[in-house]
Amino acid sequence: MTKPKVGFFGITGCAGCLLSFIFNEDEILDITNLVNLKAFPFIKEVNADDNFDIVFLEGLVASKEDLETLKKLRGNTKILVSLGACACTGCVPAYRHFTLKENYEHLLYEKRERIRDVEPTPIDAHVKVDYFIPGCPPNKKEILSFIKDLLLGKKPRQYTDPVCVECRRNNNLCLLDIGKPCLGPITLGGCNSVCTNGGFECWGCRGPTKDMNLDLMIKVLKEKGFDDKFIKDRMRTFAGLKLPVLERVINAKGNNAKPHNKD
Amino acid sequence: MPKEITLNHITKIEGHASLTLGIEKGKVTRCELGAVEGSRYFEGLVRGRHYYEAHEMTSRICGICSTAHVIAAINAIEDALKYKPTEQTRKLRILVSLGERIRSHATHLYFLALPDYVGYESALAMAKKYKPQLKNALSLMKVGNKIISTLGSRDLHFVSATVGGWLKLPSQEKIDELSKELESVREDAVKTCELFSSLKYPDFKSEGEYFSLVKKKEYAVIDGDFSSEKHKFKKKDYKKFLREYHEPYSTANFVVKNDHRYMVGTLPRINNNHKLLSKNARMLLRLSRIKIPSLNPYHHNIAQAIELVHCIDEAIKICKSLKIRDEPVQKPKVRAGTGIGVVEAPRGTLWHEYTLNDKGVITNANIITPTAQNLLNIQEDIRNFVPSIIKKRKKDIIMDIEKLIRSYDPCFSCSAHFLEVKWV
Repeated sequence: MTKPKVGFFGITGCAGCLLSFIFNEDEILDITNLVNLKAFPFIKEVNADDNFDIVFLEGLVASKEDLETLKKLRGNTKILVSLGACACTGCVPAYRHFTLKENYEHLLYEKRERIRDVEPTPIDAHVKVDYFIPGCPPNKKEILSFIKDLLLGKKPRQYTDPVCVECRRNNNLCLLDIGKPCLGPITLGGCNSVCTNGGFECWGCRGPTKDMNLDLMIKVLKEKGFDDKFIKDRMRTFAGLKLPVLERVINAKGNNAKPHNKD
Repeated sequence: MPKEITLNHITKIEGHASLTLGIEKGKVTRCELGAVEGSRYFEGLVRGRHYYEAHEMTSRICGICSTAHVIAAINAIEDALKYKPTEQTRKLRILVSLGERIRSHATHLYFLALPDYVGYESALAMAKKYKPQLKNALSLMKVGNKIISTLGSRDLHFVSATVGGWLKLPSQEKIDELSKELESVREDAVKTCELFSSLKYPDFKSEGEYFSLVKKKEYAVIDGDFSSEKHKFKKKDYKKFLREYHEPYSTANFVVKNDHRYMVGTLPRINNNHKLLSKNARMLLRLSRIKIPSLNPYHHNIAQAIELVHCIDEAIKICKSLKIRDEPVQKPKVRAGTGIGVVEAPRGTLWHEYTLNDKGVITNANIITPTAQNLLNIQEDIRNFVPSIIKKRKKDIIMDIEKLIRSYDPCFSCSAHFLEVKWV
């Protein structure tokens, strides 16, 4: 069997998703041997830039260079994988769309030739993406099993249940029940509820589930005493661009949510 | 003799950076090192958010030093609220920071720095010949990550630290287990010291001043005064000394102290605090035969290896002294004010400052990262070093420059997002 030609790249981001893969300390030397690792500029000096079977891309588009790199990579690979929250949702940097301009305009560069800002956006806003591995950063085992699936010729499993499923399985105390603004019910799981396991409410870094009940989530948070601004800010911190309906739902007159059953 | 050297997207560093070098008649006429990372404006994004949200957002500045950002942000907020954490909380914060430093140094030394010195393009390519060394690296990284995930539930962007305490305390059993695992990798760290002390480093002196946090009785990790051999100042005075500015070729800002360049990171920490290193680390420092203070930035690598041993010893000490007690998270009284948090991130001193209004909402934030502080020093080191190697082949000149840049363990992701428009 010929080894698939693989590249790991990063555009604007924090390298956390690439590190999450590298931090598979027991498996990293073997798994990188099972593929033809043609590029990984973070840890390799010699890197190809075309003719890939699979490209894992970390980061969001925040500059013209990012956009050029993304388009080039898309053209040079059969499969493009969005690796991590920045690539999948735009993550915290894309929250800039929802904050007041006056909050950040003092930080903006004067327009200079070599520094070219682009609206912060996830990569599927610009090109077709074949698979998403969400999370800030993704669960390191998840990246591993994704690669294993591809190597075995299986279609990688994309998790579809909310965080609550794993959180319950892990026997955690429900943080919503004790008044924390936990976004677990509307957030894509697959993370093994790693934040709520540590007593920290889910902020939605893996983005919303397809069948989320946003109305009910908002109703519950309001009942817990959180105001509209807080709810919007929280939901938009990691995945605002993937919740285009939020403004409409939160402003809807009357409440069309189903009654909230505490148990 | 080359006339121009341009390195676009330098590899084996964290983030994206480029270097442009112009050379005429053996002299460097132009030397511009800058981040080419897109800007993310974190300091703007936290404005309007609550005091207890800052650390979760700003940790996303960096993958490899997210822990340092979390602790710096929490320290700054607690400073603004005039809240003093309990001794147990303080110890846990130090322990988690040491865990991060262990994994960060091991990753940098073996995956980013070492391949240059043994003639490989990457650590992965070394796997056949250097398997035991890579196993050392991975076991050290694993223990570092284990400390962070034991204390904070996840190894990147850990979550259990919060303003006022710890959301979910680790059990005493887990702490004792950590202590044993740390013992089991000490030998790997010692071998790392021997390996990095045996490498041949270019001979070069950097003229920058060497700054780090210092404390009287502790090898400073998450608090202290900012100090060099000659100067010392309190964190509250940082704006009187440090000034940030831009260059048009970089999305990272530059930072100067009294208009002079300076260096932060492991070498300055060792230069300023070597007497407070653990006994094992002091012995290894002697055996390394580097003279302290060392002014050779290539010695960052040896310094990191020595610090690995120190961090393991120190982490074991903390584990042994911890008697985990149930301490509910305290809610500090909300008040208006400004607070500063300063910590030693793996690659140097990291500053966070927040201003809160009387509702506890963040109205201003300022963050200065280690790499922003080092950027000018690296650039000027390159400018001063290149004439001495100018007769070499272009390929070799580039290798020496890349080694120099990598020795600082720069993190361009971190540095690229903090700007005030003050053109010089």
